[in-house]
Amino acid sequence: MRRILIVGAGQSGLQLGLSLLAEGYDVTIMSARTPDEIRSGWVMSTQAMFATALQTERRYGLDLWQDQAPRIEGLHVSLSAPPGERALRIPCPLDEPAQSTDQRLKMATWLELFEQRGGTVHYQGVTTADLDGLTRLGRYDLTIVAAGKGDLVGVFDRDPLRSVHTAPQRGLAVAYVHGMTPDPLLPVPHVSFNAVPGLGELFVIPALTVSGPCEILFWEAVPGGPLDLWAERRDPAEHLKLTLDLVRRYTPWIYDRCVDVELTDGRATLSGRYTPTVRRPVAELPSGGLVLGMADVVVANDPITGQGSNTAAKCAYSYLGSILERGDQPFDREWMGQTFERFWTGAGEAVTGWTNAMLQPLPPHVQQLLGAAAENPTIARRFANGFSDPNDFQEWFMTPEAADRYLASVATG
Amino acid sequence: MPMTYWKVRPYVLTAGRTRTRQPLLVHTLVSVPYYDAVFASGLLPEARSLYEHARRARSVAELSAVCGMTLGVTRVVVDDLAATDRLQIHDDAHSLDFRLLERLRDGLRQLA
Amino acid sequence: MASASLPDNPLLTSAKIVIAGGFGVGKTTCVQSISEIPPINTEAWMTAASETVDRLDPGIDKTTTTVAMDFGRRTIGTDLVLYLFGTPGQPRFWPMWDDLCRGAVGALVLADTRQLAASFPAVNYFEQDSDVPFVVCVNLFDGVLHHPLEEVREALALAAGVPLIACDARDPQSVARALLAVVEHAMARNPRPTAGALAAH
Repeated sequence: MRRILIVGAGQSGLQLGLSLLAEGYDVTIMSARTPDEIRSGWVMSTQAMFATALQTERRYGLDLWQDQAPRIEGLHVSLSAPPGERALRIPCPLDEPAQSTDQRLKMATWLELFEQRGGTVHYQGVTTADLDGLTRLGRYDLTIVAAGKGDLVGVFDRDPLRSVHTAPQRGLAVAYVHGMTPDPLLPVPHVSFNAVPGLGELFVIPALTVSGPCEILFWEAVPGGPLDLWAERRDPAEHLKLTLDLVRRYTPWIYDRCVDVELTDGRATLSGRYTPTVRRPVAELPSGGLVLGMADVVVANDPITGQGSNTAAKCAYSYLGSILERGDQPFDREWMGQTFERFWTGAGEAVTGWTNAMLQPLPPHVQQLLGAAAENPTIARRFANGFSDPNDFQEWFMTPEAADRYLASVATG
Repeated sequence: MPMTYWKVRPYVLTAGRTRTRQPLLVHTLVSVPYYDAVFASGLLPEARSLYEHARRARSVAELSAVCGMTLGVTRVVVDDLAATDRLQIHDDAHSLDFRLLERLRDGLRQLA
Repeated sequence: MASASLPDNPLLTSAKIVIAGGFGVGKTTCVQSISEIPPINTEAWMTAASETVDRLDPGIDKTTTTVAMDFGRRTIGTDLVLYLFGTPGQPRFWPMWDDLCRGAVGALVLADTRQLAASFPAVNYFEQDSDVPFVVCVNLFDGVLHHPLEEVREALALAAGVPLIACDARDPQSVARALLAVVEHAMARNPRPTAGALAAH
């Protein structure tokens, strides 16, 4: 039986670990926190997952919250015109629902499930020295690093050819709240995507948290702009107050739904910023051990397109396929490189290109597409479904030529 | 029973874990319940070192320091040896256990 | 009595108190005062992003940093051993703090009134990111308290429920009293289970 060590207990590490257990592998996970600590800790993400990613969980029976988490039926895109007028409104239905389950709930439960199913878990934050010693020990056939939010990503070199940015592109501010009222113009669960041109974006995401269904208010602030109040970590009550102040000022149609909101719990806020980066997937440690990075360790995109957990799930599924196909052959450097390239060409490259494009001021062809989508539900639907499979954007969204072709075909079709 | 850490690679999976899986804390005590020199001589260096040093009770952190192994490696090796009952993991007194706190309080009063 | 090796007792159990605070506030001295063994210093290294101030940001450049901790030990009676773990002075690698604090009875956050800011990260950590009960303790470097504790409380913006004391980290008895305050605070936070609560189990 092949032994696999996974460092990190998030979406990608646990999904891969649980899938490998189901396939009969001997899996060890290093988790920086215990299930109880995760459950009672700070929120970690917004984690809206779309059908393609959810499908990878479903194949291994890991979608345990399908019945409880709100079924997100679409996106509702709005463009704000200063000072707080809604210039454009596009309902974008999804073919299949998306769902967001608080990772505190999900990862704590998955970690317990992993142990119940015979996986080994060691609870500690792993240092590079640990990684060096663990690979030298020769106990594991393969070591994967899936701890994207920690310092351990530092062992992987930045790939300058695939990394566009050298600084954070948005300040992030997340607050989980109870008490929001439904959108009167689109009264089904949906992700509300409100762009404030030049300043940032506000997302409202229905989710399931520890205390039940909730909404996530998520500001993406252009650094240095008036929305960017998130350089320092704030007290949760102050964080919510500032969030709502900005909502009232820039997206009053959302503020109307926030009259009675309160934080879901004492650790329901998150703020920070990071530089979107693509790293080289294989790192060699001083003793010669090789480790393979996965998900946001090697492909960290800005959350503006809500793809982090989706990319993590797709990476876990792609790596799983590569591991299973490898059989008893060694997980050597060449295999590691091929494993990453398979994920990169299958999902990573498209999501990275699309996400980086969405961080820029919208080019004319995208403005044209969105304007057309406001009139034409077919275009709006295609835009929404792109969140499930961003590879599709290449066909019609990413370049002016593709957009022209698509608009022409829709007009004649 | 196939034994992990014999000088044969690749490692063989240890069968049947028995201990309840409490996290191995840095202050968790471990000790060798009965020392077996033959067993010791068949171990790979990391496990050998840890087995020898745990002949008297020591915490995970002390074993890490005295064996010159990182905490991560120490935990993995302790866990493997414990799975074969070659190493005893002492029950952690729960940090919220009132009797433990009373014993600590009384002991510290003696020193104060 | 203090000795180099622990009692040969299969029922021996252990407990842990964390000694936290900024660089140079006297953590090692404090551990040394009461430990029956010379404090053990262990180091791990991290290849980490350099100059990262944000916990979400893995950064771009990298550098190798050392994460050091030291710890000591004090046997209490024949069946209990107390470990004292000093946190890495620079709270550079937070998961190491989580690891040290997991299962701790409590924490003593040392502060130096000449450089109070050095202990802000530790206080923040215990207020926001940990559920371990903690006591803040002004280390009397020259045996004298230079500022009234109430002023220190204000400067640290300590919540009312957090005990604030003073000790001389060089003096074993003084350190024992400070640790006693941690244990008593932990006991107050987790009162003895009542008969009713026990019956419910």
